[in-house]
Amino acid sequence: MATIIINGEEHTLPEGEKLNAIQLALRVGVDIPYYCWHPALSVVANCRMCEIEVGSKDPKTGEIKMIPNKLVPACQTPAKDMTVLVTNSPKVKAHQRMVMEYLLINHPLDCPVCDQAGECGLQDYSYEYGQAIHRFVEERNVNPRKDVSDLIQLNQDRCIMCTRCVRFTREITQTGELQVMRRGSHAEIDIFPGHPVDNPLAGNVVDLCPVGALLDKDFLHKQRVWFLSKHDSLCTRCSTGCNVSAEENRGALWRFKPRFNPHVNDYWICDEGRASYKTANDLALLAAMYVRQDGDLRLVPIDQALNAAGRGLARAAESGGTIAGVMSPFLTVEEAYLMASYLKGLSPASVLALGPVPTRGEDLTIQPDQHKGRTGDTSFIVARPFTIRAEKCPNRRGVEAVLEHFQGEVIGFDDLLRRAKAGEFQALYIVSDAIDPWIGEAEARELRDKVEFLVMQDTQVTTLAELADVVLAGATFAEKAGCYVNADGRLQYAEAALPPRDGSLPDLDLLAILLGRGRGPVHSRDILAELAQMVPAFAVAEGGKIPAFGIVLEQPEPVGPGVPFADPWTQPRGLKGDRPGETSPKGSRNA
Amino acid sequence: MHLNDPHLKRLTPPKLTLAEKWYLPQIADGLGVTAKHMAGVVFRNKVFTMEYPEEQHVPSPNYRGVHRLNKDEQGRVKCVACMLCATACPAHCIDIVGATAPETWPDREKYCESFVIDELRCIYCGMCEEACPVEAIELTGFYDLTGLSREQMIFDKAKLLSVFDATKDAEPMRFSLPPQPAAASTPEQRTSETG
Repeated sequence: MATIIINGEEHTLPEGEKLNAIQLALRVGVDIPYYCWHPALSVVANCRMCEIEVGSKDPKTGEIKMIPNKLVPACQTPAKDMTVLVTNSPKVKAHQRMVMEYLLINHPLDCPVCDQAGECGLQDYSYEYGQAIHRFVEERNVNPRKDVSDLIQLNQDRCIMCTRCVRFTREITQTGELQVMRRGSHAEIDIFPGHPVDNPLAGNVVDLCPVGALLDKDFLHKQRVWFLSKHDSLCTRCSTGCNVSAEENRGALWRFKPRFNPHVNDYWICDEGRASYKTANDLALLAAMYVRQDGDLRLVPIDQALNAAGRGLARAAESGGTIAGVMSPFLTVEEAYLMASYLKGLSPASVLALGPVPTRGEDLTIQPDQHKGRTGDTSFIVARPFTIRAEKCPNRRGVEAVLEHFQGEVIGFDDLLRRAKAGEFQALYIVSDAIDPWIGEAEARELRDKVEFLVMQDTQVTTLAELADVVLAGATFAEKAGCYVNADGRLQYAEAALPPRDGSLPDLDLLAILLGRGRGPVHSRDILAELAQMVPAFAVAEGGKIPAFGIVLEQPEPVGPGVPFADPWTQPRGLKGDRPGETSPKGSRNA
Repeated sequence: MHLNDPHLKRLTPPKLTLAEKWYLPQIADGLGVTAKHMAGVVFRNKVFTMEYPEEQHVPSPNYRGVHRLNKDEQGRVKCVACMLCATACPAHCIDIVGATAPETWPDREKYCESFVIDELRCIYCGMCEEACPVEAIELTGFYDLTGLSREQMIFDKAKLLSVFDATKDAEPMRFSLPPQPAAASTPEQRTSETG
């Protein structure tokens, strides 16, 4: 069994993983500060922040030999059997203070106006490892801010030359827009004139930047990060289902940040997904429920609208007509399950169809460079590709799985439309929640004329909603909690980030009330547990529990590679008790 | 703390003497104090009440009254919209909308597009003043704050800047320039020394 000695304590190496000293120390609760190292990028060891004392222990004599006289970058030090690491000696601490002072030589004191403040590597490490005095008396380099693309601003005087952004554009997207220009204290990050950072993953350089040099212009100067509450959500802009953290303040979303998931999106999200948070803040979203009375849509309280919808659908079922239900691929699996059981419960002859699946363009796969060295994350030694799907909805596979269970086949929307136009259905219940328009006005009118009773449940004000008999206001992706099945068949859970807007209810609650499932809000976990019991395809989600990285429906793997990773400065501080002198729940930190 | 906590100290009230039980000596003592003040008003002209509003009270220099938003030398609002005052505010009465500074302000990165203080909600603790890194928000000695509606008492940026204009002569800004460290010299001085 391989052991490693950190600060005099012996720790067992995880089996089968190749870690560097930083990652290993992090696993056992010892922080080694770093800036330039990132698990998905090559090691350059140019920030010098992670330098520690390294040595080895002779397994026979037990003698410890340290590398004499010098410190070694931990990011470049593989964690091998009998490696000895010292991260808290006076020599290491003096070195960290020196590096912090050096990195801050030209750094302006503009934390009050810098968007990175609160999640800044310089702020955190300056507090923990730096020193209060600054001996540099010369004038600081002043370097005006510049644009490196329409979405990204570069404040060069804040840059510490870690080159994470440069390596990202060279190794992951392989577009190479960014580079270091000039040398020494004149070094700066820049683009070639006329070649902005406009690749589809460009926004990730902002997340990679440990300081406030690269900033998202969409978020620029809008919020301070300590006001934002983070919710573990999923991007619903395509069927990849990237893990994002939806950041909310005052009832609005302000940004998406990627969350690490080695099976789906690694450390990245695409720019289109990054901008898609805005649809949850749309002021024109449907904000009330309506019932058609005397030819006009009248605004009614939620319970009246639901009663009208329930009565109309039940009447259609009793009179022997067929009810058709359209389940959009924007629904969570729990909502799809409730809706299917509701309509099949009204009449076993009900027809359920998959809603329109929006597609645009073709799948775009970004294949990182396989030949660049990576350390730390064994699962990333072979860099995984990142795919932006053409299918612009989150849950087609999940809804299909539910449909297959309830009626044995998946009826497409075009098929349903054809049958509806033939006058086959008496009542139609459409749940959409789609973002982009999906039916033309003429077609909507034709569809309306062929059915007697139309219930429209949506977040947008559409033509079909204006023609419907009952309009129910559902939830946007940010207002509902539930699970989605992505294009690879991975079931993942998304938290709700916003409360339901006034006049609306989450779709899960609407359907639960229609089903008469009793008073009070329903929890997606309970429904998922029920779904796992009733539908064999979802058996892996037994008890409503899903692992952090999601689970594949068909072939559940035991435990996937990778441990949740995020740069320490992006994590909320003050909760962990990691101030010097305080006891840390993780153990021997700051010992 | 529970009632039978061993750290609890139990006190018994002191016993009253006969004179204290009688109460009359204490009443006489109190009346004596009143008589002393009356004599002071009549014979020594020592008046304590103030004929407000004819006569205006001048509060002490560290009195905490209505807020003002300071302006810099060019008349621009000094606030950089860092929102530290809103973070420090225990009453959550400050609402700031930040924006990128206009192109014509080359030395500034960010400024406040809107700055609203709910003066009714404010508890005048002065934490905003303490938190401000650019000395942009200050509490003035202006104390007779009145209004006819709640809306009138919600001060926006224009109103807070006008409080600055009204009070800047009586109460100059506490720091008009960033305080210079004692040891370090300015760049101009240094070049003249070396060159």
